[in-house]
Amino acid sequence: MLIDVNSYIGHWPFRRLKGNTCKEQIARMNTAGIDKAVLFNLNGIFYKNVQSANDELFEALKENSEYRKRFIPFATINPIYSGWKHDFEESVKKQGAKGIRLYPLYHGYELSNPACIELAKMAKDHNLPIAIALRMVDSRPSSWLDISKEWALKDTLPLIKAVPDAKYLILNLANNSNFGAFNKEELSLVRQTKLLMDTSGRMVMELSDMMKNYGSDKFAFGSHYPILDPVTGLLRIEAMRPEEATKEEREKLYYGNAKNFLGL
Amino acid sequence: MKTQNRRDFLAKAAAALAVAGSPLPGTALSLNRPPALQDEQFPTKRSFADEIKKYRKIDAHAHVYFTKGNFEQVIDIADRLNIEKLVISRPMVPGGKGEPSEFIECNNLVLRAMKQFPDRFLGQLTLNPQYPKESMAEIERCIGEGMIGTKLYNHVKINDPLFYPVIEKFIDLKMLILMHMGIGISRIQYDAREPKGVSIPENMVEAARRYPEAKFQLAHIGGGIDWEAACKAVIGVPNIFVDVSGSNNAANMIDFAVKCVGVDRLFFGCDSSYYQGVGHVLAADLTDADRNKLFFGNYNKYLKSIGRNVD
Repeated sequence: MLIDVNSYIGHWPFRRLKGNTCKEQIARMNTAGIDKAVLFNLNGIFYKNVQSANDELFEALKENSEYRKRFIPFATINPIYSGWKHDFEESVKKQGAKGIRLYPLYHGYELSNPACIELAKMAKDHNLPIAIALRMVDSRPSSWLDISKEWALKDTLPLIKAVPDAKYLILNLANNSNFGAFNKEELSLVRQTKLLMDTSGRMVMELSDMMKNYGSDKFAFGSHYPILDPVTGLLRIEAMRPEEATKEEREKLYYGNAKNFLGL
Repeated sequence: MKTQNRRDFLAKAAAALAVAGSPLPGTALSLNRPPALQDEQFPTKRSFADEIKKYRKIDAHAHVYFTKGNFEQVIDIADRLNIEKLVISRPMVPGGKGEPSEFIECNNLVLRAMKQFPDRFLGQLTLNPQYPKESMAEIERCIGEGMIGTKLYNHVKINDPLFYPVIEKFIDLKMLILMHMGIGISRIQYDAREPKGVSIPENMVEAARRYPEAKFQLAHIGGGIDWEAACKAVIGVPNIFVDVSGSNNAANMIDFAVKCVGVDRLFFGCDSSYYQGVGHVLAADLTDADRNKLFFGNYNKYLKSIGRNVD
């Protein structure tokens, strides 16, 4: 059993992607033996009206029963754009989104924004995870039209502090994600929060140490495909030595933690 | 390193669900299907542990550091990923003057690493052509100690005339010149973090055309540079090899590099980002033979040309 908690369809405006359709994602999942994948629509970053991206995502899932079985769709919500509560209702209650995806850096708001906090509380009330990435792409070689700011793990704290009982899916740990960046209280908060981090980011170098410091229930396989290659996120788990992760811990990384977190 | 037997797991999962007494919520997400059906629909998880062992590897862009225990740490992660040889260097501290004492200290570190792990580390020296006399002496010293090429940094651009004597020396030695590539002009104008002396692919192309008998290695297309621009820049320049190392494991980077320069001019490397380095080569759309070339054969062919091949 294998669950990928970080995959996409849709377009990236600055580089041609391959594998960015449901059909291609299923082919990739079959090759790697991935049973299910959390699926986001990249277009939700770039459409001002993000509900159009949610409509696209759910229309794509309607095309094939296999897609509905194997993808776990998250809806993009922009809490500073008109009608976001309607988008929440539409995507969660009518379309069946299993989580909420935020893009604060691209949509131009802080996590401490009252509307963002209200959205997080709504997600919590519906027992829905909130997904945030520390970055979407390596900003260095990206386009002059792309944003250049990236986040460290600590930058997610304003929202976690404001709504500590929500569930957070933190993706692409590309910058400082070391537990040493947190003070004692912050680290305690992170440990106590229902928080899951995926293995796609470049700062996941010593996964066994990270599991010791944050908790072995805090990590799950994620690929960030098709932005990143589909193998590296899994290789970080596979390369751990037997003394670094028990069989049970490995199974939690492959699927157990994701299954519990997502309520599958 | 795969520990889970898929069929066993599915049987256990089915049993666990039966004990729980109810299927998981939501038919669309239900895992409560007969194991046989699941096996038909979902192929067995690909074992990268097996693939790690399958390919021999030479890391064409590796580093050692001054921190205590670093050599052992590098060897440890190389062992995990079945990297047989690592071509190591120690570039000078960014922003420094690049004085002879600095590059000599860096090269001494590499020599110590080579002595401690002679079967694993192959060394490259660094230098600064702003100090020509000391740089030429350092080439003699380090090659005499068994190093196999040079790794150049960002004090002077590779097409600057200051580099001509260095390039000519490495032509005589028939050895590779690996040049660091900066973020450069990814966002149209030069990145503010980079020094004026940092090289971009176009500088290497100019040097390679001036010296067609020299062998250049364009550093880390995954190292934060505009990898699409870099690959396009070296199309049709046969004496530039491209290493695919770096922390950026953008999907399809290697496929694009193969399309631009061909698999024979690519070197596998990590630049200390070991999982990305191995991961994106395993992910690339390559035949088994071509993956072997990239991981091992291409660099070993170079080593053979200087009498230092692995086999």
